[in-house]
Amino acid sequence: MRRVALSISDLTVKIGGKEILKRINIEIPERRILAVMGPSGSGKSTLLRAINRLLDLVPGCEVSGRIRIYDTEVYSSDPYKVRKLTGMVFQVPNPFPNMSIYDNVAIGPKMNGLVKNKKELDDLVKWALERAMLWDEVKDRLKDPPSKLSGGQQQRLCLARALALRPKLLLLDEPTANVDPINASKIEEALRGLVESHEITVVFVTHAPYQAVRISDYVAFLYMGELIEFGVTKEIALNPKHELTIRFLKGEA
Amino acid sequence: MVELREVKEKLFMITSLLLAILAILPIFHILFSIFYNGLPVLISAGASFLIDPPPPPGRGLGGIGPSLVGTLMLALISSLIGVPLSLASALFAVEFPDNIISRGVRVLSKALLQIPSILVGMLIYVLMVVPMGRFSMLAGSLALAIMMIPYVTTYVEEALESVPKTYREAGYALGLSRTKVVFKISVSIAKRGILTGILMGFAKVTGETAPLLFTVGKQRQLISIDPLGYTDSISLLIFDFIQTPYDNWHKVAWGSALILTSIFLSIFLFTRNLTKRVVL
Repeated sequence: MRRVALSISDLTVKIGGKEILKRINIEIPERRILAVMGPSGSGKSTLLRAINRLLDLVPGCEVSGRIRIYDTEVYSSDPYKVRKLTGMVFQVPNPFPNMSIYDNVAIGPKMNGLVKNKKELDDLVKWALERAMLWDEVKDRLKDPPSKLSGGQQQRLCLARALALRPKLLLLDEPTANVDPINASKIEEALRGLVESHEITVVFVTHAPYQAVRISDYVAFLYMGELIEFGVTKEIALNPKHELTIRFLKGEA
Repeated sequence: MVELREVKEKLFMITSLLLAILAILPIFHILFSIFYNGLPVLISAGASFLIDPPPPPGRGLGGIGPSLVGTLMLALISSLIGVPLSLASALFAVEFPDNIISRGVRVLSKALLQIPSILVGMLIYVLMVVPMGRFSMLAGSLALAIMMIPYVTTYVEEALESVPKTYREAGYALGLSRTKVVFKISVSIAKRGILTGILMGFAKVTGETAPLLFTVGKQRQLISIDPLGYTDSISLLIFDFIQTPYDNWHKVAWGSALILTSIFLSIFLFTRNLTKRVVL
């Protein structure tokens, strides 16, 4: 029996009094991939930011309900601890421009005291870059600034940066929306590899139904802040129950 | 067949080119006359121009040593006072944008940018020179610091605000504390802009005249670095000498103008090449 990695119950998020998410309930076991689908403005990104409490940075934001990551109650814990359990990759590649490729990956473990010495740090950086399928391309130029990488490579660097924290849960906000198909498929491959061998659970937001069907185990379909449908990907892809889901899967919504 | 569209475009190009030349012409004129009049003075006075006190009226060239040292000391002390305060208020205003004090900082720093500098001189005269019973380098430095703070604050604030929010989010997502996000990410990405702001503030106060008129005491005979002693600045020396009838003092003023311009230009060039640009 797999443990529950992420459980969201009755999550409601209001920003400036407006309900962005309405009573969301989701539960996924560990080492699985959850794809969150939905049209623009449906609350997908807000859901991700609720999980790692980046929403705390948004003024006028109220969150009610519960989120648990394994045994950690997200909203009654220290947000900085929660964020160390979760890695995040953003929609637009955002490696720190003031740091080298190496330092981008090293900053998380270094600042959070995850490593004891330089050797351990080097190993961790290499591990993260390998998992993000970037190591072979950058191993000879770790001191270069990330601006020398292509957009897709930068996004994989961001994935490595997130992985270097050894997170339990990886959150990705449309990670392939701004990269080319080759890089996108590398990222997808990396995600599959991670859940299969490294005890990571993945939540990723996507616009593209095909991508969701291709790589996820579970899907959640959001529409206007409501969870329209949630379940095992295969079942929903073959037999969507809700009209809106059908339209979205067909590419009409 | 020439189309009307193309004629219009050419006409527009030529007009804006001419206007641009018209706008920058005065700057070249200033630079040209300073070099044209100043360079012969520096050549005939030699290196002692940087060390010696000014000449008596009507005879010789002497130097501007005390005023030069005074200018640099004033800029240094005012920076020591002004820069930390500017950095703190800019960081505060950017990090806590909704706080009432930081709103005050924003409004005040913009408003004080254009404060008439003579008023600052008067303020320090009343608050410091009169109670202490004497002019001093420190009083001048304080006046300059007041001139500098809104300038550097605004500069630094803008540099910090130009850092895209996504990097801060990425920092927080890595579990970094607020302090680390501010210093390792925001400040580090904006460091070129911040340093530029500081050096431009420094450059600005090296050229100020009015705040020093009744604060430093115009002591230009002896080189002194005593913060509580009287001192002088190059700008004050130019201001005084240019109003006299003595030909040799006019020459000293031209030479001083060239020195001041060189200080200003070298800070400017230094700033431009100071730090590697962070490519976003």
